[in-house]
Amino acid sequence: MTRLKRKESAALDYLYDHYSGALNGIVFRIVRDEDVAEEILQDVFLRIWDKIGNYDSSKGKLFTWMLNVARNLAIDKVRSKEITKAKKTDDIDNLVHKIDRQESGELAVDTIGLTEVLERLPNEQKFVVEYLYLKGYTQTELAEEFKIPLGTVKTRLRLAMIELRSILNVA
Amino acid sequence: MNVKEYISSGILEAYLLDEVTPQERMEVLRMTQLHPELKRELDRTETTLKSFAMKASVSPRKELKNMIMAKAEQALNGARSSKLIRLNPLPFWKYAAAASVVVALGTSYLAFNYRQQWKEANVALTDLIARNQRVAQNYNVVNQKLEKIQDDFSIIESSAFKKVVMKGTAGEPNALASVYWNATTEEVFLSIQNLKAISADNQFQLWAIVDGKPVDAGVFDTGFPGLLKMKSIKGATAFAVTIEPRGGRTAPTLATMQVVGTAG
Repeated sequence: MTRLKRKESAALDYLYDHYSGALNGIVFRIVRDEDVAEEILQDVFLRIWDKIGNYDSSKGKLFTWMLNVARNLAIDKVRSKEITKAKKTDDIDNLVHKIDRQESGELAVDTIGLTEVLERLPNEQKFVVEYLYLKGYTQTELAEEFKIPLGTVKTRLRLAMIELRSILNVA
Repeated sequence: MNVKEYISSGILEAYLLDEVTPQERMEVLRMTQLHPELKRELDRTETTLKSFAMKASVSPRKELKNMIMAKAEQALNGARSSKLIRLNPLPFWKYAAAASVVVALGTSYLAFNYRQQWKEANVALTDLIARNQRVAQNYNVVNQKLEKIQDDFSIIESSAFKKVVMKGTAGEPNALASVYWNATTEEVFLSIQNLKAISADNQFQLWAIVDGKPVDAGVFDTGFPGLLKMKSIKGATAFAVTIEPRGGRTAPTLATMQVVGTAG
């Protein structure tokens, strides 16, 4: 962390090697376009590099901060391009398959595990996890578009996190 | 405030998604300082979110890293050189100094600008080299596939190879596979037409019957393209395939025999 704040490129190197896949996974699923995702990923890492001085470790883990930088940039991009919600609501399975199909081409993917993880969640929890974490919906958007009370969205995500914790073996 | 109820409202998840009001954010920070159990819950939820994001990983193209590292380096150099410009000495003789400052600034700007352009060209070049390597790799992959197809074809076509069709046993009437066997060089190649899916703990095993006894000709999984080279076999009278625990066994489990065919 100190090395990152001193702006040593080895630290950025480390972050890239460990987290570029996870951040790209989120960004790519939100923007649905490999080139756009890479453009955003560049912005994400340059922003992390630039704003690392503002990161306050008492307010959360570095990864969560990076994830939110990536998610917010991706959401901004989708909004600025005015990509319609119709495109956003494509079935996630199609997307996962689409990514799988590209595996032999350009993307090395670990989505088999992800599909299994999602399948093990009850349907209504799977739904909120997909829309909030993988499709770039905010909680408010999800509540409004699918006519679910905001409080319900929040508690379902809470229950999903408890399930995910045991599925993913988090201590 | 009841900590359990507070947690089950889903406020921590909303906080981690950065979708809380400034008041709620302050409240979460204050509450986590007051209640260690809440802090622990927040940490665990963050870890879960991270594991989930890791599961959802999609690796970007290899060359992206170099571009990002180059740009970060460039941003850093840019920040340093703009500091230098600000450090230029203040003019002493109004006019001459003012003029020299203008010249100095202009020159610095040009130098900076050219450096930027050079850096950009360098990044573009790195990118092109990486792309070129990727094309070369793709070419090699295609070339290897083509060679494999040519090799397979020459075996199928060759009169030195005998084709042994192995038909499904009573329990598996639809199963079908073939062996191409060269009795002189003892080479054995396997081709699968139809074998059922089996669990990951098991594997298919090819057997040759030599002098009335089964001889291991190697284990295999389905899904390979074309022909698969198996162990060399001398003097076989028949070939058969059984299902065995992954890694194979020294003697065949006859009950799991899928296909069999005589080489006579």
